[in-house]
Amino acid sequence: MSSVEGLVTQIQGRSSTASDVLLLQNLLKQADDSLHSESTRLLPFLDQLDPSMHSLGYLYFLEACTAGPVTKEQASSFVLIIARFISSCVAEQIRLAPDKFMSVCKRFKDQVLLLEEPLRGVAPMLTAIRKLQSSTEHLTTLHPEFLLLCLLAKCYKTGLSILEEDIFDVDQPRDLFLYCYYGGMICIGQKHFLKALELLHNVVTAPMSTINAIAVEAYKKYILVSLIHPGQFSTSLPKYASSVGQRNLKNLCLPYIELANSYGNGKIADLETYVQANKEKFETDNNLGLVKQVVSSMYKRNIQRLTQTYLTLSLQDIANTVQLNSPKEAEMHVLQMIQDGEIYATINQKDGMVRFLEDPEQYKSCEMIERIDSSIQRLMTLSKKLTIMDELMSCEPLYLAKAGRERQRLDFDDFDTVPQRFNI
Amino acid sequence: MDFSVLNERLDSKSFDKIADLCDNLMLQVAAEGVPFQDEWPFVIHLLGHIYVDDINSARFLWKSIPVAIKESQPELVAAWKIGQKLWTRDYAGVYEAIRGFDWTQETQVLVSAFSELYTKRMFELLQSAYSTITIQDAAQFLGMSEEDATNYVLRQGWTVDPASHMLTVTRQAIVREQKLDPGKLQRLTDYVFHLEH
Repeated sequence: MSSVEGLVTQIQGRSSTASDVLLLQNLLKQADDSLHSESTRLLPFLDQLDPSMHSLGYLYFLEACTAGPVTKEQASSFVLIIARFISSCVAEQIRLAPDKFMSVCKRFKDQVLLLEEPLRGVAPMLTAIRKLQSSTEHLTTLHPEFLLLCLLAKCYKTGLSILEEDIFDVDQPRDLFLYCYYGGMICIGQKHFLKALELLHNVVTAPMSTINAIAVEAYKKYILVSLIHPGQFSTSLPKYASSVGQRNLKNLCLPYIELANSYGNGKIADLETYVQANKEKFETDNNLGLVKQVVSSMYKRNIQRLTQTYLTLSLQDIANTVQLNSPKEAEMHVLQMIQDGEIYATINQKDGMVRFLEDPEQYKSCEMIERIDSSIQRLMTLSKKLTIMDELMSCEPLYLAKAGRERQRLDFDDFDTVPQRFNI
Repeated sequence: MDFSVLNERLDSKSFDKIADLCDNLMLQVAAEGVPFQDEWPFVIHLLGHIYVDDINSARFLWKSIPVAIKESQPELVAAWKIGQKLWTRDYAGVYEAIRGFDWTQETQVLVSAFSELYTKRMFELLQSAYSTITIQDAAQFLGMSEEDATNYVLRQGWTVDPASHMLTVTRQAIVREQKLDPGKLQRLTDYVFHLEH
């Protein structure tokens, strides 16, 4: 058919200036259906296009090519084509057709997984995110895909890089749920428990009209991480969490709630028995490793509790109270905690004593000033953002309509002729 | 595969940059679909993570290496042994793992640099965590003979009680240069002023 050839010529001719590209986009939109019906014979035409110049046209062709089911052999050639396209395409052009770009990238992920080589997808997917997003505050559909690839390829450290960015813009709620859930898992793997907790917290408190599996799994991990890091867990979610979540999450994660209760009692033997008895449940949830970290964190928690009561304590006493086998074991635990900055103490081997100290931070170093300053800066930016959102919200017709109705009712109350508070 | 940058870093002893460099290189090579695993310098990559004390990343890298490669490279297994000892906080075991293998020449440089750094880290840990410690334990943490360990810490100002075989830790006040950008201070002053008025 000549139309495909004609289209190729159009793409080659109309990819250089912005106005031409817009015209081209209309042409491509009209031709999209016929491209899809010709999908099997499009592949050779890609050679006539240069992904770094004719990005938009290339994208439409590539999307049509990859629309059908693919075999493993096809996948391995597509993966390379798409990876090269992602690295060389022009961001301005592909942003004209974000849906096409996202579906190509998603297929890319599927194909990489079909080949069982998730590592191949990590770098291209990160590039794809950078090209697609308008700013680093924008969460794209590709964020969770990237994090998933990082998890599967065990490139946890690479995944951390995008988790440091603050997100304010979300296209789809599902993106946020998955992004925070996978992100939480990455932070758990790198033992950044505080950040993990923050991400998982975002999932369990996010607005939702029905309960979803991501939130349930996130809640399980949320319970475990809060036991490991701050060392306590409160069963009540904050007020701003969705009512669906408040009502259902707990009932769906009962073994975990029980675990938290047992942890709260501070008895290591009870906790171990409980974990042993419910081992299978934790294992099927793929949470057994994390549960084990919870158990070992209990020794630390108990030692930390001692620092609040005593100034000095013998290693023997620590071993007895925390239920460790020997003073030497207690010494090793204390040493580890000092190494990790979890307590401040000095061990005196001569007398077999430990002296607990105050936090030596005096808040007068340059680094501390730097930190305070940057925290204030971040808060100021955040507060400005909130004000803007607030203003936008007060101009939103939907909101005004609802607020207006409420107002009427309130105004009516104001006309209440008998002021009740004066009635004695 | 182009390892020239990596070799440059190794030659210039910028060992702290190796892990990031290897990570990025691996992602690039993998994206091109090149079968790289047979000739990838896993030993250097793994030790690079260990050098910067990123045991989590070292562990994930180890997990992602195919079994066939682990079996064919005893040096790789030996390198991970160091990682394992660090992971389980077997402080003295780290030195055993370092000494327990006859490293190839190019790995040796990195391993001995790590060994030196680790001794330094251990000394700092002992200094911050102990007020008194037996010579025997100190020697284990520092990976030295008791005599060498005693001399090492004496040079750092500790004192020894020969009768009880105890070392007393003296902590040196660490003087850090405090160079403050006056602009920062001005900004903080402005905040406080703003909040008070």
